Amino acid sequence: MVQDLSTLTAFIDGEPMRFNDGDTVLKFIDRHRGRGHVPTLCDAPQLEPYGACRVCSVEVAMQEDGPRRVVASCHTPLTAGMHVFTESPKIRKLRRNIVELVLTDHPLDCLTCEVSGNCELQTVAAKVGIRQVRYPSGANHLNRSKDRSHPYMTSELSKCINCSRCVRACDEVQGQHVLSMHGRGFNARIIKGLDQSFMDSTCVSCGACSQACPTSAISDVFFSKSIEATRKTRTVCTYCGVGCNLNVATKGSEVLSIQAPTDSEVNHSHTCLKGRYAFKFVKHPDRLRKPLIRYNGHFTEATWEEAYDYIAKNLQRIKEEHGGNAVGGISSARCTNEENYLMQKFIRVGFGTNNIDACARVCHSPTAWGMQKAFGTGAATNSIEDLEYTNCILITGANPTEGHPVTGSKIKQRVMKGVPLIVIDPREIELVPYAKHHLQLRPGTNVALLDMFAYYILEAGLIDQDFIKKRCENWEEFEQGLRNLNLDESERTHGVPREKVRAAAIEYASAKGAMAFHGLGVTEHSHGSKTVMTIADIAMMTGNIGRPGVGVLPLRGQNNVQGAADMGCQPHQGAGYLQVNDEANHKLYEEFYGAHMSNEIGWKIPQMYDAALAGKLKALWIMGEDVVQTDPNTEHVKSALNALEFLVVQELFMTPTAEFADVVLPAASFLEKSGTFTNGERRVQRVNAVIPPIPGTKSDGQIVCDIMQRMGIPQADYTPDGVLAEIARIVPFFKGATWENLTDQGTQWPIKEGGIGTEILHVDSFKRGLGKFHFFRFQESKEIEKHHDEFPFILTTGRILEHYNCGTMTRRTGNAQIVTEDLLAIHPDDAAKKGIESGDMVRIFSNRGEVNMKAKISTEVKPGILYTTFHFPENLVNMVTSSECDEDTMCPEYKVVAVDVEKVPASSMPKKQRMMEIA
Amino acid sequence: MALAIPAELESKIDEVITHYPVSKRSAVLPLLHLMQHQFRFISDEIVNWVAAKLSLEPIQVLEVVTFYPGFRQTAPGKYHIRVCRTLSCAMAGSYELMDSLCQAAKIDRSHVDHHHPIAVSEDGKYSIEFAECLASCGFGPVCMVEDDFFEKVEPAKAGELLARYSA
Repeated sequence: MVQDLSTLTAFIDGEPMRFNDGDTVLKFIDRHRGRGHVPTLCDAPQLEPYGACRVCSVEVAMQEDGPRRVVASCHTPLTAGMHVFTESPKIRKLRRNIVELVLTDHPLDCLTCEVSGNCELQTVAAKVGIRQVRYPSGANHLNRSKDRSHPYMTSELSKCINCSRCVRACDEVQGQHVLSMHGRGFNARIIKGLDQSFMDSTCVSCGACSQACPTSAISDVFFSKSIEATRKTRTVCTYCGVGCNLNVATKGSEVLSIQAPTDSEVNHSHTCLKGRYAFKFVKHPDRLRKPLIRYNGHFTEATWEEAYDYIAKNLQRIKEEHGGNAVGGISSARCTNEENYLMQKFIRVGFGTNNIDACARVCHSPTAWGMQKAFGTGAATNSIEDLEYTNCILITGANPTEGHPVTGSKIKQRVMKGVPLIVIDPREIELVPYAKHHLQLRPGTNVALLDMFAYYILEAGLIDQDFIKKRCENWEEFEQGLRNLNLDESERTHGVPREKVRAAAIEYASAKGAMAFHGLGVTEHSHGSKTVMTIADIAMMTGNIGRPGVGVLPLRGQNNVQGAADMGCQPHQGAGYLQVNDEANHKLYEEFYGAHMSNEIGWKIPQMYDAALAGKLKALWIMGEDVVQTDPNTEHVKSALNALEFLVVQELFMTPTAEFADVVLPAASFLEKSGTFTNGERRVQRVNAVIPPIPGTKSDGQIVCDIMQRMGIPQADYTPDGVLAEIARIVPFFKGATWENLTDQGTQWPIKEGGIGTEILHVDSFKRGLGKFHFFRFQESKEIEKHHDEFPFILTTGRILEHYNCGTMTRRTGNAQIVTEDLLAIHPDDAAKKGIESGDMVRIFSNRGEVNMKAKISTEVKPGILYTTFHFPENLVNMVTSSECDEDTMCPEYKVVAVDVEKVPASSMPKKQRMMEIA
Repeated sequence: MALAIPAELESKIDEVITHYPVSKRSAVLPLLHLMQHQFRFISDEIVNWVAAKLSLEPIQVLEVVTFYPGFRQTAPGKYHIRVCRTLSCAMAGSYELMDSLCQAAKIDRSHVDHHHPIAVSEDGKYSIEFAECLASCGFGPVCMVEDDFFEKVEPAKAGELLARYSA
């Protein structure tokens, strides 16, 4: 029923007020009288109304002097003309008595309690006017033991008031179902898992329960809720492409704790254990604190002046002797937009070369490339918020609950509410039990499977003719390709029964709106770009583009991998994705920078290694990337770095890559600098320094500005707003961005004049005009063709929630106590054949090398497939990975490696070398 | 050690699940009844099995088990006795009946509390617990041995009652 606006009025203590359709009584009061006017205990803004504590009780009547009824305001819907009485004597008495009863079973040790001063129970008790507890002390739960088992989470359930906020946070925010209420009545109590400790339960340490708990019953080792901070600074997390907003509490230059702001559009008071708890690396003793210069093979501490002079002298010499093309730069998706922008400017302007690339090369370069080919823009078409409006979710080659935890939990929440989920993944990921369809294909056969998926959409007549005709081109060729598919061959290739593919395809295509997410399981293949384009095809053929609840959304891996490419850290495109070998663009850049620029496409990262080995690349500058540990085929990378004449590395820690450097510059972490990150949904967000750089270090942006000035390249001093203003003048889709108008919530690009953002791309037309269909026939990876006979297993790699990449940061935090090693998952049938048991040390070998790791027997993989995470580089899993890569972008094929496996006899076990000491 | 589910039970379970097409979570309760009938009590292993069967987290099953006193979390004796202690029976002597049954069956109830309501005899043959109303208020005290129902049980005849279950 549509409400007449004039009737949207109700009364608070006699005063008429407007309300919104769908308001509860409490929401209505909160809006007009402020949160806290009506006290609450079990209600929390991030949770659904629950109505358990009854402290929020009010009296309601349909006429001012009509009969009144007491209701819990939090879950009572408001109706027009309702009279709400918030402070009647009866209500005051009721509330006071409820709180009094709560206090009979609560330790009254407020003065020494962790949350004293920040305790909601304390606030509510004061608000309702408790002066004494009239009840004698009787049976109680005051002697429950504390749980101190976990590196982060703590509990002291004698402080628990049974409001179930933690249970609901675990269910409704995270979706982990670790907490629940055991028993009932007076004996009800909170349990973790099957009545275990935090450490032994399946808790993922997201901290949602701790943030939701109104007392100190569940908290964390940093006392996040009650922290006595001198300052709280809002910034953006550095751990993944979700871009969670964080409130960081500091005292002087000490980071005390991190919480998630409730008003954040990206993460709504939620974040994961990396964002919330993994910050202790900042002051770790291993941090580099002085520039290091290598003289005669040994590092010597130096001043910044000495280091800059040494670098300038050497780079000038190399430029003069070998030309600017002998210099290259690798920028970092961990760094800010401003730093990435400066880095590419430094290389392009300073050396007249386009030899600039970033770590997007090894993760999402196929996404940027493929989506540009299909749509014209290499970025997510929609926002994560669209999950609220979608009718079907397709995830291809991504594991969001581990890799993008907050997006993962949002997906899980939607699926638990009935939105069908399709997972295309060779492994049984955490979301699979929730999925309606799991297409468990052989690694490396995405194109074969997605072609079949598209074929069945076509066959079922579920294509959007109108959309295809008006908005797209090249349909005929694509359709022809699908019609000529050999389904038998296709089915044999990917190994998923065709009926399952058909059912999933029909599910996707018949949904009113369907969102397609993908991750590195799509891109890190020899046909990565082609898979991205095929996903784009499927979205276009079903008209799933350009409106809420649809789209193609790459789950960008690192916090600023979107930004690194936007800022031009790619050898073929400058800032703002303008092709460097286009004459008009070249002119534009030369005029803008007032310098001679190259109009030749530069080297991609793998080509830089080859050029170094061929003696063509002499100097390399790496900003915040550990290529030795993270790029494939380690030996090849090492020999390339060895072949260089001069290597500069900006780093937080002495990484294996930094070990190869001639100069190592100590950089500042994300908590020590300001700038902007662009998350996976194109949202440009402000990163604010919460503490100054630790003594001896400088932010990456500052370092690049310093060296440019030292080398005589015109560059102003580093300020985040100053650099952003320069970016806005050259990057078309940053045109309206200023430091101020990005606001706390950030703005999604393209940003128009006045700071107006764009939530959905390609609404009326595609960026490239018409959306272009591309048909690709499956081709076997060369890795399999060349090596499968000799190495019959396929090894594929992925991530785990607790660690980030090679663990440089997370392994210097408490996370290292939670997950201590990488394990190799092997199917029980294969394990039996090879005589391997869980926990056995096994040797995995390819034609490149071998590694040893511990086996875990699991049905998460199919027979013939092995799986491992890659966060413990001492295992050196990249010793076995290949140099095969995506044909279009040279993104390495980490996901398909031909290997064999065998049990290592206990006697011949090599001593495990640890590269890092964990604090 | 894997839980051995008889094929007949599993097919019954599969059939029961079809009664709940909207949310499999609703099948927790009937599945727990079937499992308790088969295995006499609900072990953690059973909790995990039911959770996996219904694609739930184990805690979502455990919370149901602990909410209802009718589900046992520890093994009962060969013959499980439930003595009603609700008002009419209590007035008619259910506490005396409990005492004399315990004496006859050699059951020590001193460790019984809310979380551990069941006491088992030394030889494991009998176990006993108080139950709420068994719906025969006019004929207290009443008790049940397994699924057999007894009314107006005189405490003095506890031994006689147990003798029927001596096998």
